[in-house]
Amino acid sequence: MKKRFGLVIDQERCIGCEACSVACMQENNSCAPLIRVKTENVDQQDTPEGRFPDLKMSFLPLLCNHCSHPPCVDVCPPGALAKREDGPVILDKEVCDGCEICIEACPFDAILYNPEKEKAEKCNLCVHRIDRGLEPFCVICCEGQAIHFGDLSDPDSEVSQILTKKEAILLENPEGVEPSVYYCPPRAPRGL
Amino acid sequence: MEKEQVKTIRTVCPAHCGIDACGILAHVRENRVVKVEPAEFPNPKDRRICLRGLSSLDITYHPDRLKYPMKRTGDRGEGRFERISWDEALDTIAERFKDIAAKYGWPSIGWTLGGPGAGTTKFGAYLRLASLTGSTRVSAWGYGDAGLPCGSRVLFGAQFPYSFLMGSFLAGRADPEMVVVWGSNPAESQPLNMMRRIMDAKEKGALLVVIDPRYTVTAAKADQYLGVKPGTDTALALGIMHVIFQKGLQDVEFIKRHSVGPYLVRTDTGEFIRAKDLGAGDSEDYVVWDRVSNTPRPRGAAEAKPEITGAFTVNGLECKPAFQLLMDLAEIYPPQRASEITGVPAQIIARLGERIGTAGSVTFVTHMGFTRTYHGDISLRALGTVAAVTGNVDAVFRGGHLPAVLNWRPFLHADSSRPSYSRLGILQLYDAIISSKPYPVKALWFSFINFLNQCADSSKIINEIFPKLEFIVAAELFMTPTARYADILLPVCTYLEFSDLIPFSYPYVQLQQKVIEPLYESRSDVKIAAGLAERLGFSEYFDGGEEGLIDLILDSGHPSLEGITRENLEHGPMTLYQVPGTDQEIDIPFSTPSKKIEIYSEALREVGQALPVYLEPIETPLRPAGKKYPLAFIQGHSRFRTHSMFANVSSLLAMNPEPLVEINPQDAAQRNISDDVMVTVFNDRGKTTLKARVTEGVRPGVVNISQGWWIDQFEEGSVNHLTHAIINPVQEAIYEPNMHMNDVAVEVLGIP
Repeated sequence: MKKRFGLVIDQERCIGCEACSVACMQENNSCAPLIRVKTENVDQQDTPEGRFPDLKMSFLPLLCNHCSHPPCVDVCPPGALAKREDGPVILDKEVCDGCEICIEACPFDAILYNPEKEKAEKCNLCVHRIDRGLEPFCVICCEGQAIHFGDLSDPDSEVSQILTKKEAILLENPEGVEPSVYYCPPRAPRGL
Repeated sequence: MEKEQVKTIRTVCPAHCGIDACGILAHVRENRVVKVEPAEFPNPKDRRICLRGLSSLDITYHPDRLKYPMKRTGDRGEGRFERISWDEALDTIAERFKDIAAKYGWPSIGWTLGGPGAGTTKFGAYLRLASLTGSTRVSAWGYGDAGLPCGSRVLFGAQFPYSFLMGSFLAGRADPEMVVVWGSNPAESQPLNMMRRIMDAKEKGALLVVIDPRYTVTAAKADQYLGVKPGTDTALALGIMHVIFQKGLQDVEFIKRHSVGPYLVRTDTGEFIRAKDLGAGDSEDYVVWDRVSNTPRPRGAAEAKPEITGAFTVNGLECKPAFQLLMDLAEIYPPQRASEITGVPAQIIARLGERIGTAGSVTFVTHMGFTRTYHGDISLRALGTVAAVTGNVDAVFRGGHLPAVLNWRPFLHADSSRPSYSRLGILQLYDAIISSKPYPVKALWFSFINFLNQCADSSKIINEIFPKLEFIVAAELFMTPTARYADILLPVCTYLEFSDLIPFSYPYVQLQQKVIEPLYESRSDVKIAAGLAERLGFSEYFDGGEEGLIDLILDSGHPSLEGITRENLEHGPMTLYQVPGTDQEIDIPFSTPSKKIEIYSEALREVGQALPVYLEPIETPLRPAGKKYPLAFIQGHSRFRTHSMFANVSSLLAMNPEPLVEINPQDAAQRNISDDVMVTVFNDRGKTTLKARVTEGVRPGVVNISQGWWIDQFEEGSVNHLTHAIINPVQEAIYEPNMHMNDVAVEVLGIP
């Protein structure tokens, strides 16, 4: 069966530390992190919602969802974006002309514009690593061990196994794009 | 082709001094580190890195690194220096030290070093010099880290309580029914490597409780968060114990077997009854009340079935078992009273007491934060006592007990024929410099410590301490606020540029292997110390450089190091101690006077602290009405820094650009303060000006500025312009006085 590499992000284990963001910038030499961590439901980073002491705070790492039918690929005039057979949506920076049309098309706001290089930048699922049998760099640097990588088509893979055991959702997405990044929502506090 | 030139070397990022130290795999191309990644560990759960470790290259290749030795040309603090050679620098230092020692004696020269966890030989090299010259070792514990060992020494007879309170986690198990994180934030700060264990335990069903005045990232993971008032943890613990005792949920067998609970205490003097008080012989042994014979018996007496409650008369002496005295104390802290003191709702305290009392096993995760209050040592004892009376102390060896951290003997006793070093805590150093008590200190050497930035009462340091010093040396990476006051400034290496032995993260020992040659003219601390030793006539004690000193420790015969050599450490981490089979159950003899957990400390009876009594914090305002400074100021630790390290790293500054004072919306509204406006935080000692962050994440009545920002990063002042250097004499007597960074009162005003 055809491979479909993707991620399962366990928000229960995400501690919002942003090591993934720093790791990403180091690995990809990008102008900004291609994975960034948003504190949910508030504008301010690391800030809880509610009233003291009845508070709530959870983190949402956001990145390219490596859609099965990626709108960005369809709209890219020079054809710099491509969907690989095994799942990753990749950007060829040599071909990119910096038109920014893909940035508009992405339903997840996951493509950046590098003003210095005048080109788009996005998560390539670290294809340079996964082609050597390694995991994406953010996965091995995740402090909470919250980001899991693997083949979503293989029922025995770690990611598929997690999906059978835990509730998982997709980010809100336009019909038909079929994202490959699943999120396990944080568990509600049980109280004493 | 290019790829083939990259080699990898396993080393260690020791940035987080103490029980965390991540293994690092450094990728090197032509003496340049091109990448760092988390190195493999025998247990994949221990393979980790954090955003600070990932910034290693930003530190090593930082444009502001000090590049060569310098001498001061302007006024102290002004930051004007000129380049000199290493020979000139070391010759000057040796000469000045000899002059000062001739005038005031060698103890007048103090080695002021950062945390020992940050490296073994770089710390040890200076201790060796202190010991050989008979000068002063300034202990780093007092910078906020002495409260925890003070409490732990009294209760457990050990410097650290970790193996007793979270032994299961340290042994790699994650099986408690309940985890209580008390006064620490392992998601961002120490004990960082416990966070995965906590989440693993939670995933397996453990209930997670977090106790903290701030709603931290760790608190965000809690099933129940308790937003306690700073400095009131002991009252909370007593409230919890009140409920446990009222419901009879204490672990009687554990208390009898492992604590002083059954030992009889005279109610008139507070001393333990001794066997000699029974009228026969002169034995100093402790005495219990045997319920079978209804008579007092020495503790070791066969067949004795000791009572842990009740009141008895022994040879005309009124007495009670120590546990009864603890019950009497907890009796006066019903949840309602504990609630009034701590700010935690009474029903939550009651429910927590019940849950801790009925849970099969509870792991307590804690660290220094809540012990940085005036009576923080008692807070730690109170927490440990809750664990002890419910049988949740690892008092039986099940693979979780840890040996002492590597000892410093090989360094501190370099030559037994010479007078040894003197020792001062940081707060004692203040007195030594300002008023020559107990003796004058006239010169300081700073290494891996940003003294001015990180120690209490900055104005005192600038106005009363530095001017009294005849000579200051700083070995540093950067022109820190402290370095600006140095007379001689020496450039040091980052961890990628020298070798060291790192006895962390538990239970591992790792080799920090030199990855690249030192940049510029920088030198390792060992090499710097060796250069000075040569000029003072002690060169033979530094033979072999860093490797020589590493071997000195490994060959010291310490039992925890059996079988560990430099050669096999080059391949990866080794376990620091030989784990007896986890099925082996051996009672741990505690290193207290009684060899038991001292829930009652006879030694502290004269200061009224034999039991973990609740005493109000010295400054934190608990009844704010009418107070000049109604807000409690605390300093949380941020994931973006380790103390003041990483504060100048641009990739981290991009995420977290400036210091902020966190204030609750209620307090902000009363002062007409809104988000992002500039405010001044002040008290009688000083003030600091910075941006406000209005957030529910901090308890009303409390303001937080995360520590570690450099003085020059504030609009004005800094966190330690607000703190005080008041010595707690009880801590001084037990071990060393602590700085009470989280026991400070302030007011906050908007700037018109």
